[in-house]
Amino acid sequence: MQDNQRCKPTVSRRALVAGTAAGTMMLATGDALAQRCPLTPPPRTRGPNVWLDLDQHELDEAYDQSVYSFNQRFIQERRNERNELMAKVLGKPERVAYGSGKLEMVDIYKTKRPNAPTMIYLHGGAWRGGRSAQGAYLAEPFVNAGAHFVNVEFNNVPDFKGDLMPMVDQCRRAVAWIYRNAGSFGGNPDALYLSGFSSGGHLGGCVVITEWEKQGLPRNILKGAVLGSGMYDLKPVRMSARSSYVKFTDDMEQALSAMRHLDKVHTPLILTIGLLETPEFQRQSREFAAALARAGKPVKLIQAKGHNHFEMGESLSNPYGIMGRAAMEMMKLTTAA
Amino acid sequence: MKSASHMLTCRALVAGTAAGTVALAAGDASAQRCPAVPPPRTKGPAIWLSYDQHDMDEMYDQSVYAFNQKHTLARSAANNKIAAATIGKSERFAYGPTPIEGVDVWKTKKPNAPVLIYIHGGSWRSGRSFDFALYAEPYINAGAHFVAIDFTNVRDTKGDLFPLVDQCRRAVGFVYRNAARFGGDPERLYLCSRSSGSHLAGCVVTTDWDKMGLPRTILKGAVLGSGMYDLKPVRMSARSKFVAFTDAMEHELSAQRHIDRLHTPLVLCIGTLETPEFQRQSREFADKVRAAGKPVELVVGQHYNHFEVGDTIGHPYQLMGRELIKMMKLSMAA
Repeated sequence: MQDNQRCKPTVSRRALVAGTAAGTMMLATGDALAQRCPLTPPPRTRGPNVWLDLDQHELDEAYDQSVYSFNQRFIQERRNERNELMAKVLGKPERVAYGSGKLEMVDIYKTKRPNAPTMIYLHGGAWRGGRSAQGAYLAEPFVNAGAHFVNVEFNNVPDFKGDLMPMVDQCRRAVAWIYRNAGSFGGNPDALYLSGFSSGGHLGGCVVITEWEKQGLPRNILKGAVLGSGMYDLKPVRMSARSSYVKFTDDMEQALSAMRHLDKVHTPLILTIGLLETPEFQRQSREFAAALARAGKPVKLIQAKGHNHFEMGESLSNPYGIMGRAAMEMMKLTTAA
Repeated sequence: MKSASHMLTCRALVAGTAAGTVALAAGDASAQRCPAVPPPRTKGPAIWLSYDQHDMDEMYDQSVYAFNQKHTLARSAANNKIAAATIGKSERFAYGPTPIEGVDVWKTKKPNAPVLIYIHGGSWRSGRSFDFALYAEPYINAGAHFVAIDFTNVRDTKGDLFPLVDQCRRAVGFVYRNAARFGGDPERLYLCSRSSGSHLAGCVVTTDWDKMGLPRTILKGAVLGSGMYDLKPVRMSARSKFVAFTDAMEHELSAQRHIDRLHTPLVLCIGTLETPEFQRQSREFADKVRAAGKPVELVVGQHYNHFEVGDTIGHPYQLMGRELIKMMKLSMAA
């Protein structure tokens, strides 16, 4: 996750007056902007549009969650505390290698139900941060409801000198490993589901366009996927400040933009976004959903009011929250006693 | 004045940048406040603890400390729509003669089930009981009925809190006597609430039930989020503009002063991003209940603001929801 909270070191009197009048500090320009740090950025000269109607500065901000999620730090700290609690409630997961790399491991949280469905999770972190253990708190609702929860560990992009290809490859190999080894932890290989959030949503998009046949695996290896706040076209991402740490190439952009490989999708998708997310993150899911629908592929787009990026991620941990509910329904799980 | 404002701003921002956020120096709760530095002002005399009048007004104004209030409310409303579409409408039972005196019941399918009674917040000024499908859903699925109490508000009582408390008490009495009508077990009634609803709930758990011909242990447990249990400082705040506090009201409706009448085990929840006064209210009430030798637990949610604490009632794995599931001995396992 990005740590730089980008509040600009000027306070406009206008913003203060407006904020005081409203009883809070919101800028006048709509909900998503109001969720931004309400300090007014310093005046700047707008540059030429580089993507849609965004100039370079705006595009950089549209791929920087901290700009649009003022409470990012609090949500991450809540997650950390819940993970500490999980160590007591769920205990340690079984950690098994899916490959030879040091980090090529899956964390398996087992349900008691025999031959149970499995939820596979790909974490976010702008491709450069995050570990599987940080998703421990997501496991409990699924385990209780009768599904295994498998957190995939993979390297972050700095480990691969900015190359996303090996990360996608790791995620794909992890899914294949889970299919072939589900029996070893009591999972039903024919009931595998996928979830991913943020950059994990991007990786999830790449996983669902995998040509599984080439590996001797069934096309519909994944029976459904909930992808939250992902990126499915890398072109605008490549043009943003994210290119300072991802070494985009034409090949990478093409191969890892799920939007351009709709013919390979054989998994019903649920795409979720929050209406307080950056305009680009909202657009990415909307356009992917529209393209899938046009291609006749099963897809559902859920647009959640009042949620910013990190609040969407947190909702996977609540069977009655946006992502959690979608996942439970997809897997036909119930929390009913 | 302009330059003073600028200095303050820079200092706060430098501190914030160093900490990785725009936190003001005074800790997390301040950081959740709107980070723009308020215009400089001269501090008045301290009227309560170290606070002057301005501080006190802010302490009892959630929007000052939860700048995302509007968004959390929009989120709850949207989630409520989804829940309502899933579980359907509540059934309404009258507990008293006036139209507002009703409870909204969402039934579980389990026979002879425990009952969770809910008292909503809204600074005593707003809120209706039928708006809480989002809190009801987890509990009816887990095997408990969910009963939300409708009650009047101070706008309709000329600022008097007594009728609100009286209605909540009568509603609990009604649920006890009529639980069987909707398949509830009267011996397993529990209470939960948030914000001003927790003030009312504090009054409910210190009811003199004997006088109403009801068992002292009518409520088997209560999880109260972000409440007020001593009205003295509240009376000194801007809330006195819409609540017509009197000495009798302050005394009778400060649960903290009637711990002898408490026969219900309590869990009090607060978030570390709430106003210092709201945090202190629960801490002090917990201390006093404990000192009286009565069962109480204080659960502090790290990095939750006022509205985010209340949200967790609809979240069986987080803060208040987790406490409620545990207290009612419900299971989230399929």
